[in-house]
Amino acid sequence: MATSAASAQDYTRRPPDLDRLTQELFAEIQSDQVPYEDLYETLLQYYQTPINLNTATREELRVLLLLNENQITTLLLHRQANGDLLSVYELQSIEGYDLRTISRILPFVSVQSSNLHAARGSLWQRIAREDNNALYLRYERVLQERQGYTPPTLYHGQPTTRYLGSPDKMLIRYRVSHTKDFSVGFSLEKDAGEPLSWNPGSGRLGPDYVSAHVLLQERGRLKTLALGDYQLQFGQGLLLSSGLGVGKGAETITTLRRSSVGVRAYASLLENTFFRGGAATVQMAPTVQATAFVSHKNVDANLQQAQDSLAQFDEFTSGLLYTGFHRTASEIANRHQLSETIGGGNLGYTSRDGNLALGATGVFTHYGTPLLKRAEPYNRFEFSGKENLALSLNYSYVWRNLLLFGETARSTGGGLGTVNGLLASLGPTVDAALLVRHYDADFHTLYGNAFSENTRNINETGVYFGLKVRPVARWEVSAYYDQFRFPWLRYRASAPTAGHDALVRLAYTPTKTSLLYVQLRQRLKPRDLPAADVVRPIPLPGEQLRQSLLLYCNTAPSTALELRTRLQASRLRDDPGLPWRRGYVLAQDVSYQLNRALKLTARYALFDADDYDTRQYVYEHDVLLAVSVPALYGQGTRVYGLAEIRLNRSLTLWLRYAETRYRHQETVGSGLETIQGALRSEVKAQLRVKF
Amino acid sequence: MALAGEVWSMGNNVAGLSEIQQPTVGFYAENRYFSSALNVGALTVALPLGRPLGAVAAADGASPTPTVVPPAQAAWARNGVVAFEAQRFGGQLYNETRVGAGYGYRFGQISLGGRVDLLQVSIEGLGSRRVVLGTLGGQIEVVPQRLSFGASLYNLGQTKLASYQDERVPTVLKAGLAYRPSSQVLLVVETEKDVERAANFKAGLEYRPVPVLAARLGLASLTEQASAGIGVLAGAFQIDYAAAFQQALGFSQHLSISKAWGQKAQ
Repeated sequence: MATSAASAQDYTRRPPDLDRLTQELFAEIQSDQVPYEDLYETLLQYYQTPINLNTATREELRVLLLLNENQITTLLLHRQANGDLLSVYELQSIEGYDLRTISRILPFVSVQSSNLHAARGSLWQRIAREDNNALYLRYERVLQERQGYTPPTLYHGQPTTRYLGSPDKMLIRYRVSHTKDFSVGFSLEKDAGEPLSWNPGSGRLGPDYVSAHVLLQERGRLKTLALGDYQLQFGQGLLLSSGLGVGKGAETITTLRRSSVGVRAYASLLENTFFRGGAATVQMAPTVQATAFVSHKNVDANLQQAQDSLAQFDEFTSGLLYTGFHRTASEIANRHQLSETIGGGNLGYTSRDGNLALGATGVFTHYGTPLLKRAEPYNRFEFSGKENLALSLNYSYVWRNLLLFGETARSTGGGLGTVNGLLASLGPTVDAALLVRHYDADFHTLYGNAFSENTRNINETGVYFGLKVRPVARWEVSAYYDQFRFPWLRYRASAPTAGHDALVRLAYTPTKTSLLYVQLRQRLKPRDLPAADVVRPIPLPGEQLRQSLLLYCNTAPSTALELRTRLQASRLRDDPGLPWRRGYVLAQDVSYQLNRALKLTARYALFDADDYDTRQYVYEHDVLLAVSVPALYGQGTRVYGLAEIRLNRSLTLWLRYAETRYRHQETVGSGLETIQGALRSEVKAQLRVKF
Repeated sequence: MALAGEVWSMGNNVAGLSEIQQPTVGFYAENRYFSSALNVGALTVALPLGRPLGAVAAADGASPTPTVVPPAQAAWARNGVVAFEAQRFGGQLYNETRVGAGYGYRFGQISLGGRVDLLQVSIEGLGSRRVVLGTLGGQIEVVPQRLSFGASLYNLGQTKLASYQDERVPTVLKAGLAYRPSSQVLLVVETEKDVERAANFKAGLEYRPVPVLAARLGLASLTEQASAGIGVLAGAFQIDYAAAFQQALGFSQHLSISKAWGQKAQ
């Protein structure tokens, strides 16, 4: 199979540097809650079954995030005028394709004369022969003893809380997929501290998290059928977003727009952002597609009984719990306590030339127990009750070198949300973007994740400008400026606030394998001052300003050796006049391909950050399909080593050791995670069995 | 401000006058935050002196022929350009009136200019005061037709307005870069420093989808103001409109109309 696919290619595709690409797309990691793994896996999927440049539609080319609108248009025009591309080398003759773009997309694209599915036999044969048919076994453990795993002590006559399971984290995962054909897979995961228990009545089947899916695509008029766990993304993701949104990053243009990718298989390990049930997309007419979906699952929530007989609800939950951890007695008690049923659909029209796309989406959510957030002023307009219906309209239109797009939605209670943008290729070397969004304080989208500064699409108005210029070959300047306003209070901001976020990055690519960049970012986002600093009679959040610098240098002196240096520094001030607090990390990576069977990667990093607010997230190499971005603060060193061992054609083993050593600390972590001593080390092993 | 060749150079960077090729009259009006007390009105006249040196520049043939002729590519007047401006800011209670004369001259890639203003500040009930201000400007084309740098110093004498609290007319130094990656696109950045205030950083983008139409976007850091505008070339008239938005104060509007006489030297 591998050979027949390879024969259609006339060059050897280099494996993508996913780490580098992820870093280019995410400007600066500021949270460990971003679904990097999802993006990582999507890119890996494209590597394993590349996009066929001869059949790809406009929307499919956009999903790659690596081509601007002008490049997509010129490719489509080239195809129209000259027929199918004969080889990827032909890309060089297409207007707007510089070497950097070509080398960035090469791992993810191919040139094939027609759809190959027909020649590949029945579905079972295709699955059996598929190249990425693989089982992953992963094991992970922190070597030091943490407080949660020690025997319980007595406090006021009650035993203290402890984790009920072992400190091992285990994962079994199987997936086989082919783009535009099928995807079948399952995942079983037990987090550290979670017990293994067999209790089908409460949905506990050994490991704490179980996920499985079957996805079929392109079966005549049935474009997609998903059973089991799946994700949905339509329009700008205002109502349904599958986590493929990158948001603000150093890629200031192409990542702004969300793609209507529709139904996707769910194979990630985040225990909440998916749907469970079924979804189907049907081609109603050559230009019209309809999707219907239904999902039912039980989510984690803390159920409470109302103390007051006149209360709005007798039983309610103050909010959903998203950690996915079920380690202690109380976490297990909250596990899957709230039933959630979601149904809805999308009707999409795409014009024959692909330039105009219109869609309508409806999502109805029903909870078994009413939601009622705590009676804080900032929760004044939050969703409460059992049911939410949200309806939206979205559009996307290409006119010459301009791409207009947007989505507007209304939710139960009348809240409006709208996001509208414009991407423009102003010339061969200049791209610009503009995005305007407004989300009412009472706009409730429970599965939406459209572009915003807040983590959710609520209580925000903002304007984003992005610019990318390539003044001379090999150099690129990208910049954005985002201005936002929160008309109502937020968590930790007891007044309406406004702020901005700006970034400038200068990148230089001297050779195919080298990359240097410098990036500056400033963000003003008001937040309440710590209680000690408050001298104000009325609530007025402090003007928190954060400035950061990133220097990155990546070179490959030889084909086997790769060196990376990364300097990250930031400073933060809660209000003008208050002292700056600083964080700093300097990391040196070495990666060496010893021979075909063994690849070694290592990092030594020093960090010094004043406190948790100035913590630094540094992207780390990890075993395949895992992403590691630890938060570093305090003073110390972070070291890791990773070995990738190809045992034979079907077996690959990854071994990883990482440790953080702290200075001037007697304990590491807090609460049940506390470690006595100044060292925290983790081991990880992963085995991939290819069939 | 680094742009050259338009009548508004008189107020932005007087060195830019040097590239005006035709006698031009411009009218400018501004309203901030819908308050009539913050209105600005200005009238400017610019007159090139002597025959333009256009033939020389065009004969060079050093430049490729872009579809749109950027102003920077055009020729400049042999003996420089003089301009006169009258400007008024404010309403009944407080207003500033300024009349000035400026001159710009270009040699090679460098332009220099200077202007002298008579400024009158009037406050109802307190009377008025008149002072004289001097302003200098310079521009250089670092990469012809691609990149130019400009700087301007307003009120170089730090003229005193009143001895009470040592009140002076603001002294403002501006420096900026204009970059034209293609004939349709112009990118500008500028920093502006008033002696007594924090530095302001501005960025702007102009795009000309067709030669007679320009779309513009602008940002300013200190004032946290974003602006968007449109420019139309209608025969001999150049009409520009911009709306700016400040989060706390709201909208302000800017309109300018200018008319040029005679043939452009190409």
